[in-house]
Amino acid sequence: VTPTSRWSFARGLTICVAAAFAVLMIDGIIHALMAQTPFGVPRPGGAAPQAGGIVEWLLTKQSEFYREMSSTIRAAKSDGAAVWTLLAISFAYGIFHAAGPGHGKAVIASYLFANQETARRGIVLSFASALMQSFVAVVIVGVCAWLLNATAKTMCSAEKVIEIASYALIAAFGARLVWTKGGGFIRALQQARPPQAAPAMALAAHHDHAGHGHDHHHHHRDHSHAHAHAAHHDHAHDHHDHGHDHDHVHVHDEHCGHSHGPDPSELAGPGGWRRGFGAIFAVGIRPCSGAILVLVFALAQGLFWAGIAATFVMGLGTAITVATIALIAVSAKDLARRLSAGREGGGALIMRGLEFGAAGLVLLFGVGLLFGYLAAERVTCF
Amino acid sequence: VKGPEVKLPMRRLLGLLLLAAAFVLGATAAQAHPHVWITASSEFIYAPDGSISGVRHAWTFDDMFSTYALQGIETKTKGVYSREELAPLAQTNVESLKEFGFFTFAKADGKKEKFQEPVDYFLEYKDAALTLHFILPLKTPVKPKQLAVEVFDPAFFIDFKYADKNPIKLVGAPATCQMKFERPNDGTASAQRLGEQNFMNGDNSNYGMMFANKITVDCP
Repeated sequence: VTPTSRWSFARGLTICVAAAFAVLMIDGIIHALMAQTPFGVPRPGGAAPQAGGIVEWLLTKQSEFYREMSSTIRAAKSDGAAVWTLLAISFAYGIFHAAGPGHGKAVIASYLFANQETARRGIVLSFASALMQSFVAVVIVGVCAWLLNATAKTMCSAEKVIEIASYALIAAFGARLVWTKGGGFIRALQQARPPQAAPAMALAAHHDHAGHGHDHHHHHRDHSHAHAHAAHHDHAHDHHDHGHDHDHVHVHDEHCGHSHGPDPSELAGPGGWRRGFGAIFAVGIRPCSGAILVLVFALAQGLFWAGIAATFVMGLGTAITVATIALIAVSAKDLARRLSAGREGGGALIMRGLEFGAAGLVLLFGVGLLFGYLAAERVTCF
Repeated sequence: VKGPEVKLPMRRLLGLLLLAAAFVLGATAAQAHPHVWITASSEFIYAPDGSISGVRHAWTFDDMFSTYALQGIETKTKGVYSREELAPLAQTNVESLKEFGFFTFAKADGKKEKFQEPVDYFLEYKDAALTLHFILPLKTPVKPKQLAVEVFDPAFFIDFKYADKNPIKLVGAPATCQMKFERPNDGTASAQRLGEQNFMNGDNSNYGMMFANKITVDCP
């Protein structure tokens, strides 16, 4: 273990412990503030689960904010100042709503974990996805209700089509991630074998190179991995006549050359933004049922503009929470990378395994949502 | 290279990840907060022979949902909706509610009972709120010692609250029958259920059960 990696462990551990403390503290504060359950009765003696406490509280809070919205919009008809109250409530609702259960955040977090994304990219993607959700809600209500004066039934059919499209896209996106990350994982598995088996290993690695050469830029992400490659590369030299493509050899050399301390933005690879926006598009095209209801209600009160403003402010609140979750995902990945950096081959194997797992999770979410195994927020259709 | 100082943080990291995954999955399985509020009142309808033949519901929606549901419905007079003008919407309502089992779950002496398609359904618009009236006939009328009916949305997208006045009525029930009504929010029972329900246990499909209205009728 080099001094650098030892320092990384120390830092990683510190982050871990700090994060755990933060969670415990927040939960403690919430429990202290709410000496009783949100339902106005004392907690039964210590039986309440920790996470349940937070989720329960979030559900109650967002429910309260949501209920206040309709009366505030009504009030805004006669009192302009109530619009500010509406915006404040919407903002708070957005923050709390996003902190609650939802598949969108899970997909974005898993995607960020599966890929080597930067914190900045995680934040931008979170904001883009939340604002896209707001935008889609405004477009649906704007076109269906305001322009066409369609019924709620028609609007809900439109929502359902969009919903299915969103789930299918998430599944497709997940499948692509699994394909890419699965390749990296299998290669890492093959390369992680002990070096005693060198002659046989060289052959295996060699075959692997020929088979999966197209994907190499994806898994040359940390230097430990690159080292492992360099070693295999040497073994592989003896077997060049087994059809090893010379182009690939050059690619390898390039990567081995600058394997120390790669810049995170390079790690994300080319086309990273496009991939990222693919993820947020898949998630963001499905609007939140709450926003649709608020918009239609505001429209009926003759205050459509206030509804639109509320929807975007809601999106802003959502974005802040999603960005926080995204940051946690990115830091967790970073931490995992630091920890595994201390191990030669094996560390890379764990990293590829984790990425593969996260990719699988995205696919699982998509398929689960599409076939109804996982329930998302219901579309208001009755 | 694979010293114990590497393995320990690695294990911790894996633990942390498992926890995160459990939380994400658990949270996803659980449902969001209610978007629709219903103030309900119900009548249990008994046949002359003392068997229960069905449940008559009157569900009043909150003003936001009422407005949403009325979107795009043309009327002769603005803001006034006749029963006829609301008929197509009532039709949509009962058709859609079928998917959710009409949020009404009945058990006769512990055995699940099924309902037929709703009859006599109509919508009424009063004080900026829509009220859906419908009768749910039981597939086969039953005469159990104990009838238990629960009204709730398992996903808690809808919050069912029974009216403060006359929430439940027994119509034509034998004089010996005793009705007991338990609201979801009253006191220790719901707190206990909340405590028992663990959000991390992965099975939150019946999360809304905590918010069930329970009606039991004992006919000895």
